[in-house]
Amino acid sequence: MSARRPLVATDRAALMLQLVPYLIGKGEVSIAEAADEFDVTPDQMRAMVEKLTVIGLPGDGGYWQMSNDLFDIDWDLLDQQELIVITNTVGLERSPRLTAREAAALLAGLQLARTIPGVGDTDLFTGLLAKLARGASSTPAEVIVAPGPVDTVRDTVAAALRRGVAVSFTYKAPDAPPTTRTVDPIKVHIADGQWYLQGWCHLREAMRTFHLDRVSRLELTDIAITHGGEPAPGWFEPGEGDVVARIRFPATVAPLIGDYLDRATLETSDGITVAAMHVADEFSLRRLAARRGGDVEILEPSASRRAAAEWADAGLDQYR
Amino acid sequence: MPANAPAKNPPEERLVNLVVALMATDQGLTKDTILTSVAGYREQSEAGASKDALEKMFERDKESLRGLGIPIETIGDWADPDDLREARYRVPSAEYELPEDIEFTPAELALLNLAGGVWSESSMSDDARSGLRKIRALGIPVDEPIIGFSPRISLRDPSFPALQQAIEQSRIVSFPYLKPGEESPRTRRVQPLALVEYEARWHVFGIDVEAGGDRTFLLARIVGPVVVTREAFDPVLREGAGDRALRGLDEVAERSTSLLEVNPGTEAALRLARRASAAEQGIRVPYVDIHIFADELASYGPEVRVVEPAELRDQVIARLTAARDLNGARS
Repeated sequence: MSARRPLVATDRAALMLQLVPYLIGKGEVSIAEAADEFDVTPDQMRAMVEKLTVIGLPGDGGYWQMSNDLFDIDWDLLDQQELIVITNTVGLERSPRLTAREAAALLAGLQLARTIPGVGDTDLFTGLLAKLARGASSTPAEVIVAPGPVDTVRDTVAAALRRGVAVSFTYKAPDAPPTTRTVDPIKVHIADGQWYLQGWCHLREAMRTFHLDRVSRLELTDIAITHGGEPAPGWFEPGEGDVVARIRFPATVAPLIGDYLDRATLETSDGITVAAMHVADEFSLRRLAARRGGDVEILEPSASRRAAAEWADAGLDQYR
Repeated sequence: MPANAPAKNPPEERLVNLVVALMATDQGLTKDTILTSVAGYREQSEAGASKDALEKMFERDKESLRGLGIPIETIGDWADPDDLREARYRVPSAEYELPEDIEFTPAELALLNLAGGVWSESSMSDDARSGLRKIRALGIPVDEPIIGFSPRISLRDPSFPALQQAIEQSRIVSFPYLKPGEESPRTRRVQPLALVEYEARWHVFGIDVEAGGDRTFLLARIVGPVVVTREAFDPVLREGAGDRALRGLDEVAERSTSLLEVNPGTEAALRLARRASAAEQGIRVPYVDIHIFADELASYGPEVRVVEPAELRDQVIARLTAARDLNGARS
């Protein structure tokens, strides 16, 4: 669910316009469920529903509106059982069209979903694209998500998920020897164009996340998955380790450093940032230092700093 | 506004009342009728608010509602369309409502639920959820949710919303753009046509007004605020722009191909494999941005050697040299 940010009057009006068709469609719905659907707190939902009952058609000749000119709800149900039932409507029964932005957000999401093997066929996507375009109040800005290449590893993982069987593969983590794994697939995460398989690793007997680019010789097994119901912990476990490292870089470079800083402690003065973080071992930061060549200095531990210099030097050796 | 000021209704009530009133009328309501009969205005009219202030409020409300995509029609004087004194306003329900003939199947809805969830924290995430709510309120049954996949698009570039707005309104933007290797940013004036995510980075595709040609800009290199000017351009230019932008990026990638030697079994070999094609000696990998590709290749250190082009090799060498020198023995 998205974070609950403060709503301005226009946002609240937009929600109320969506609320009427939603309530009609539901017939009867609890405050909690409606609040969840609208990303508001139960108290905010109750206030919205109560507000609805003072809204209606214009009054005639200066008189207050008649009650059947106003929206109304079943107050007893609301007060006693926290249930919302709309009993009178004066318009707004059908959903408003999508705004250009709403359509754009869904259209772009569909383009990413389309790259997943086995999820929906071309006809389904084409039909949806046309419906969303036609259901928008004005032409959405084109927001394009370019599909990345999908290889047999991805196809096979998707097949394993559908069939509910384990996969076996060779995994080569950076700076570690290759291992052979058997994994009950639970979920494929696609982020920033990278694919990650999260699943129960038979070797480690725990949930693990595998970058699919580092997976080779992937095969379907006929072992039915047994750990499908395991709670999936946060799928990224960055910066876990015993080594405390400190790096220094110009503050403007911070956005380019990315994940590493998610759990780091930062101190910035005069445009220079020093970040302290836990890393797995002394080799963990040498790739970052080379990638941001000249911007990221490893202050400590000295083994880490040495590893970074040696890594870069070994790279340079190839050109001598 | 203090909570205990009952005399003034919250503005969202007035906005919704206005929509209900404008949808209930076929021939339209005049401004006078609206200000004296629609709840929210009426109370303030009766309390003696100045007509001028109320009219301004009505103008603002109209703009707010149009911002929500609500089609408020102005029916002017037949004889003199510019004379808005007797203008009537209405919201045609056919244009307000999701068309009756648009129906979604349970399978489509399941797919939309997946598609709507791809945006991590951003304005796009709110928009996607709001769009989904409108569709779900049609009361369509939904298939089993599509589980097993969690696709995500991240959107960290602060310039995105302004560019999107400018595209919707077909208006020229200007922004400071810092090319790698240049000392200071240069202001670009662009007719923005499409936003494109390519290899996990956002780009804006458009026509550079000064250069007079199609250009693609990396959002990460827009180093200051995007100004949406009042200058409009022909929306026809937007048609098919996304495809044009993608073709352009693909063409760049085709033109710029590197020849690399990689050590088998290393991180470099694994990460480059999906993009690579085999060459006689080594692999060929296309790229769209030499600076970003050089960053990546430098991170692989001794795992990869650039054979060509020379410019890419030089850039990688420059990064490695700087990394070695910066992290060398302290003097």
